[in-house]
Amino acid sequence: MRKSWLSDYIVKRIIYSIIIAWGILTITFILVRVGPNSPADKYLANIAARGGDPAQVTAAVEARYGLDKPIYVQYFNYMGNLFRGNLGWSFSTSMPVSELIKTHWIYSFQLIFLSSLFAAFLGILIGIYSAVKQYTKTDYAFTFLSFIGISIPNFWLGIMLILIFSVKFGLFKTYYDTTLPLFSLDNLKALVLPVITLGTGMLAGYVRYTRSAMLDNLKKAFVTTARAKGLPERTVIGKHVFRNALLPLVTIIMFDLGSIVFGGAYLTEIIFGIPGLGQISFNAIFANDYPVVVAVTLIGTFMVLLVNLSTDISYTYLDPRIRYG
Amino acid sequence: MSNVILKVNNLKTYFFTRRGVVKAVDGVEFELKHGECLCLVGESGCGKTVTALSILRLFDSPPGKIVDGQISYDSLNLTECSSKQMRQIRGKDIAMVFQEAQSALNPVLTIGDQITEQMKLHLPLDSNHTRERAMTLLSEMGIPSAERVMGYYPHQLSGGMKQRVLIAMSLSCNPQILIADEPTTAVDVTIKAQILDIFRELKAKRQMSTIFITHDLAVVSEIGDRAVVMYGGKDVETAPVSEIIGKPKHPYTRGLIDCLPDSSKSAGRLTSIPGTTPNPVDMPTGCTFHPRCPKAMKICSQKEPPETAISKEHKVSCHLYT
Amino acid sequence: MVETSGDIVKGVGRCMPNRTRLINYYWQRTRRNKLAIFGLAFIIFLIALAAIGPLFTLDPTEANFEETNIPPVRFTIERSVYNIETDDFTTTKISGTWKHPLGTDSKGRDMLAMIVSGARVSLLVGLIATGIAIILGTIIGVVSAYLGGWVDNALMRFTDVMMTFPFFLLLVLIVFIFGPSLAFIVLAIGLTGWTGIARLIRSESLSLRTREFIVAAKALGASDNRVVFRHLIPNVISLIIIMATLSIPGVILAEAALSFIGLGDPTVPSWGIILESGQHTLDTAWWVAVEPGIMLFLTVLAFNFLGDGLRDAFDPKSNV
Repeated sequence: MRKSWLSDYIVKRIIYSIIIAWGILTITFILVRVGPNSPADKYLANIAARGGDPAQVTAAVEARYGLDKPIYVQYFNYMGNLFRGNLGWSFSTSMPVSELIKTHWIYSFQLIFLSSLFAAFLGILIGIYSAVKQYTKTDYAFTFLSFIGISIPNFWLGIMLILIFSVKFGLFKTYYDTTLPLFSLDNLKALVLPVITLGTGMLAGYVRYTRSAMLDNLKKAFVTTARAKGLPERTVIGKHVFRNALLPLVTIIMFDLGSIVFGGAYLTEIIFGIPGLGQISFNAIFANDYPVVVAVTLIGTFMVLLVNLSTDISYTYLDPRIRYG
Repeated sequence: MSNVILKVNNLKTYFFTRRGVVKAVDGVEFELKHGECLCLVGESGCGKTVTALSILRLFDSPPGKIVDGQISYDSLNLTECSSKQMRQIRGKDIAMVFQEAQSALNPVLTIGDQITEQMKLHLPLDSNHTRERAMTLLSEMGIPSAERVMGYYPHQLSGGMKQRVLIAMSLSCNPQILIADEPTTAVDVTIKAQILDIFRELKAKRQMSTIFITHDLAVVSEIGDRAVVMYGGKDVETAPVSEIIGKPKHPYTRGLIDCLPDSSKSAGRLTSIPGTTPNPVDMPTGCTFHPRCPKAMKICSQKEPPETAISKEHKVSCHLYT
Repeated sequence: MVETSGDIVKGVGRCMPNRTRLINYYWQRTRRNKLAIFGLAFIIFLIALAAIGPLFTLDPTEANFEETNIPPVRFTIERSVYNIETDDFTTTKISGTWKHPLGTDSKGRDMLAMIVSGARVSLLVGLIATGIAIILGTIIGVVSAYLGGWVDNALMRFTDVMMTFPFFLLLVLIVFIFGPSLAFIVLAIGLTGWTGIARLIRSESLSLRTREFIVAAKALGASDNRVVFRHLIPNVISLIIIMATLSIPGVILAEAALSFIGLGDPTVPSWGIILESGQHTLDTAWWVAVEPGIMLFLTVLAFNFLGDGLRDAFDPKSNV
């Protein structure tokens, strides 16, 4: 009886996510079509330089991109293409956008994955410690440091790290070496500075969230009950308080992943020359290569959608009040 | 005399806050005898809960501190023993049941987990035995289908069941003393009666020595053997319950009894004690009750009343009797 | 003695604080937070700098190729310069002077002047874009909560969709499509940053409607108007103030990040653009990257301190 109610909920969430996905694609389509920049402009510039006839070029480009057809036909074509995995053609790199994505996504993935791991692990530990030792100098120090962590602009942090550790001390290379095999120690070393850059902001945030979630729960009555049983303090904190703090924490961490990480990763890749999706989007901007920029935006957004959906679903399993409602 | 298992002697627990020093417990004294049910009675804010928390040192320690007094239990002074010794006593020799069962239970752990956890800590039993013992306790408390309940989470139980689970939890390691902090306050009348039944049975069957905290004199009269009336952090009158109700000496105790609605009287105004409980940071001088006392004399605002023995079992702190 | 309900109403009326006392109360609570005061002081300093600073500094756009890459005052760097006469590199020491207290960049422009005019840009962008986001978010939030029904549903679905887009990626897309002019960047940031505010305002409005003090006020006979103005709005205003203070740093950083990746307005000397050019001269002129970064950092820090302090001051449960 209860199990089916739960899967009902999951099905509802999936349908809801599909609706949101549709909304995302539609808004992106509207943005691109409403924009003044048309793909024809780039060709126009080229042709004008070579002395061709702009009107003819415009017509040809529009025919090729289907821009001469009525808007709803364009919309259907757009949706249809996306479903078939056709993300368009990147004219700056002369390959299908999907190819481009396939070869570059792994770099973004390893950066985001390692940074999140680093930030979550350290952040939660420090947050718990800070909450338990509230009002001590250590707590004040960590709180102050976390303010600094969330305030420091992460692109500046990246540059400063390069300045100090690569330029002045020569410990790391200034640019990411793509010839390194992914699972090597050298690769890990090359990722140290980028991970610190992307992870610091997240880390500081997690310290604050964990600390506040722990503090909220430390005040609750069941903590006194646990102590009255004679349990050692580390069990009280680790088993009783932390399990309760974990619930809102998981939600916040996952949602944070969506909003902050992708923007930060974009910038970090550019600074360190990591050839991930952010980097190729950046290159595409200057080549006026529309489809790539749009594709990267869509991929980032769909990642967020997926993360949100999984958080929703996992929360129903983590919180017994929902599981056995 | 050898009957006494716990003695609280001149206990003073103060809280040092930014707005001043709160003298929550300011010189409380009483004894608990084996097998008896001692009630701590008083309005909210009089210090009864803090007294109980002080016995097990469960109050928050940065603001709170036991500044004076001894609590003698089993040749130990609980105000001064080490944290390790304290932890061995908590849950095993002295157990405590709290007021609001909903918030006193951990919402993300199962009932079974929460009951067996202290048994695993204090008793040399394996997990099968702790589980069986837990289920037996639950049944004893009147909880049906104990095995299923072991796997439940707190929010799946009703208020009365939760309170019983709390009581079962506290009994799991067979403590000598049970401290109950207003277990009937947050529940409705039918559950209240059931819970009082449980405490009566505990006394009868297990000879459980209980410290029962309440503000409700009706409850005191039902299950208490002796009562300590508290006001403003001090104990103002101590006596067997029959004398507290029948021959109250302290004006505050009399006021409390007068407050009880009496269905035999015809409709009229309900009596109340005038004024409000004192500001804990700014207590009145002399006797803390004097601003509200109908029998206040000049000396009451100047000097604290000493403790006078009316009889062997009956003590009062009031200038009327010095 | 309270005898009649008339007494009760008079008593409650006497207790309701007037507006100045409320502001004073919150100000007192904020004052105790030293970090928040530092934040406020820095912001005031920054505003002064932006407002009257340009009157006292050199022209930030004036390039001077004689004086390129001079370090800030009290710093000295060595540079090897190709000497055409000896056909070799000679290392000369170049020291900072008070003429250019913060040094110059690779085109000889005075750093101090650029930083000061950058302050103006960042603050304007911060205030205006946040203003747009707040107004848009508040309208959507309040309308959604007030009208309810399918309007609420539709608006919230729309908000959900917009929230799913990673803020920066969406911003990049919009600026890429529509072109990097300052006005448009400000508009774009405002139009993408309203979602969190809308959500919070809506949930606060909804919860306020059923909160006990509102029900109590109505039970005492307060009219709808009175409820809205004396009870709902003051509670939402504090939320708006806090959200605004905490949104400004994100906005300033967004503009800086856009400039940094080259999507900023090239005609405007913002801190992000200075930082971007500094990125390439790290080994020869590190100050060009360090200085705007420090300013950005301190500005964001100041707003965060202030916002956090305000949030604590307005929260009745926190013991300030």
